[in-house]
Amino acid sequence: MSVTTLPHDPTRKQAHRKRRLSRPIDMAFSALGIGLAALVLWRIFNWAVLNAVWISPDGTSKVCRGISGACWAVIDVRWRLILFGLFPFEEQWRSSLACLVIVIVAILSCLPRFWRAPRLAGLWIAGFVAFYVLMAGGIFGLTSVAPEKWGGLTLTVFIYAAGMLIGMPTAIGLALLRRSTMPVIAKITGLFIDGIRSLPLITILFTAALIMPFVLPPWLLGDKIWRVVIGFSLFFAAYEAENIRSGIQALPAGQEEAAKALGLTYWQRTTRIVLPQAFRNALPPTINQFVISFKETSLIVIIGFFDVMASGKAAFGTGDWSFAWVEVYVFVALIYFVFVFSLSRYGAYLERRLRVGQH
Amino acid sequence: MGETAIQITAMNKFFGKFHALKNINLTVGKGERIVICGPSGSGKSTLIRCINRLEEHQDGSINVLGTELDDNVSHIDLIRREVGMVFQHFNLFPHLTVLENCTLAPILARKTARAEAEGTAMKYLERVHIPEQAMKFPGELSGGQQQRVAIARALCMKPEILLFDEPTSALDPEMISEVLDVMVSLAADGMTMVCVTHEMGFARQVADRVIFMDKGEVVEEGAPDDFFSAPKNDRTQKFLNQILSH
Ligand SMILES: Nc1ncnc2c1ncn2[C@@H]1O[C@H](COP(=O)(O)OP(=O)(O)OP(=O)(O)O)[C@@H](O)[C@H]1O
Ligand SMILES: [Mg+2]
Repeated sequence: MSVTTLPHDPTRKQAHRKRRLSRPIDMAFSALGIGLAALVLWRIFNWAVLNAVWISPDGTSKVCRGISGACWAVIDVRWRLILFGLFPFEEQWRSSLACLVIVIVAILSCLPRFWRAPRLAGLWIAGFVAFYVLMAGGIFGLTSVAPEKWGGLTLTVFIYAAGMLIGMPTAIGLALLRRSTMPVIAKITGLFIDGIRSLPLITILFTAALIMPFVLPPWLLGDKIWRVVIGFSLFFAAYEAENIRSGIQALPAGQEEAAKALGLTYWQRTTRIVLPQAFRNALPPTINQFVISFKETSLIVIIGFFDVMASGKAAFGTGDWSFAWVEVYVFVALIYFVFVFSLSRYGAYLERRLRVGQH
Repeated sequence: MGETAIQITAMNKFFGKFHALKNINLTVGKGERIVICGPSGSGKSTLIRCINRLEEHQDGSINVLGTELDDNVSHIDLIRREVGMVFQHFNLFPHLTVLENCTLAPILARKTARAEAEGTAMKYLERVHIPEQAMKFPGELSGGQQQRVAIARALCMKPEILLFDEPTSALDPEMISEVLDVMVSLAADGMTMVCVTHEMGFARQVADRVIFMDKGEVVEEGAPDDFFSAPKNDRTQKFLNQILSH
């Protein structure tokens, strides 16, 4: 066969297939591979389901002694710690309700019927007020709970939602400022973005939590949890601003010119012509950034917050259950997976939806 | 000539060190139709883009409908509302329907009520013969249809003056006439028009004056009959020979 043959040449493809299937040694390798995969799956199934222990009637780890499967009993006994952290036991219904409120608000704001600035704003303000009242208490006869006691999945969801909510408008602002026609503003914004991007998130969280108290006057300090949210959202915003800016840069110059020629002001052009198209262009990297940020919430443990990952560790950390760390990590991984995978699928749906009418 | 629509006096335009427009003097009366032609790079686009401040001029003055075009943003906004522009590459907004393309600026820049803006938009879409496409997105239309939407979009602002920058150059030959027909009918209605175009048939039919530019200068201007039959300048002569031999 000549070297110039194209890869999709049918005769060559057939020859390739023939070669691959006809040689007995290749078939043996294929069989071996499939067999091995089946074996691994079977063993996982055995460990996770058939030989597993699901509940612990007496709340101790005795039931798991000597078993060869997974000890899911640890989840049965410790799930409240993983989901709610150190939140007072009798008040944990508040934490679960608060978490649910944020998740529901997040889901609602994914629905196109809520895509109006006033509706979204109303939804999230109501959501966060409800969250704060439930978590902090102190009114409506709810006992007050200090933010240091917030934890688990609820804390992760809160830090993430608040971080994204503050981070997204900040990102848009930064992207627009970096494109300002005034060179000084564009330069300073560029330096700010690049500065934040050059620091590890841990450093930023550390600064927000532990160094700010020395720098800021007390009346400006606020609670540690808010400083952490701000630090987290700044970090997100620095990356997301660049995604949005690339989306803006991808627009043909004629779009802005046509809008100018029609007499639209800067804000009208930006909100009606530039940003809607820039978001479409920037959607894939934006979803990427959202996914990464969700996983980055686990870094807040560094400054003493018990997110879902940290409280997972605490769940097997006490002597009694220390052998069951795999089960706990699998459970925590599953939680992350549900959130991140839903987010990715929603991104794919958005891309399909926004392509409608654009050819 | 009646009232003045556009008055350009001793205007110069630089791109950095490059002298793109040299001492331009041009007066356009209300209702007048001007065709600008000239070789590529001669500054035709730059000239008409200066009229609505898509490009900034460096000295001389431009006065549009009695308003001086200077750094005052409210002057710029005022002029842009009264001066419509049609581009070579249409520049429709791809994320908006045809109807939304037409109603956006009247609603935002003229504060027209939505219902009224939609009524006006449908009127102008009928005028350019595509009312049935109102709910489609620009990407679903042919080039000729898109350019007619772009004309309707400009008309919806009820402008005093329309600028055209080679509106048919990006179109397939069979679509050129549908766009030119619309432009001819606008001219018949007395719209003040400044058109950069190489459609010499159009120039003969509707232009009151033809302006020839080369290397950033206005080389020659005159009524179409004189201009085409007896060009005075060598460069005009050469350009016409090239254009008409095609
Ligand atoms: N933004 C810009 N920056 C620098 N130079 C420019 C810019 N826009 C145009 N020019 C230059 O100015 C000159 C005039 O350009 P212009 O686009 O007005 O020409 P034109 O007559 O419209 O040509 P064409 O028929 O090709 O459209 C050209 O030499 C061009 O290279
Ligand atoms: Mg041009």
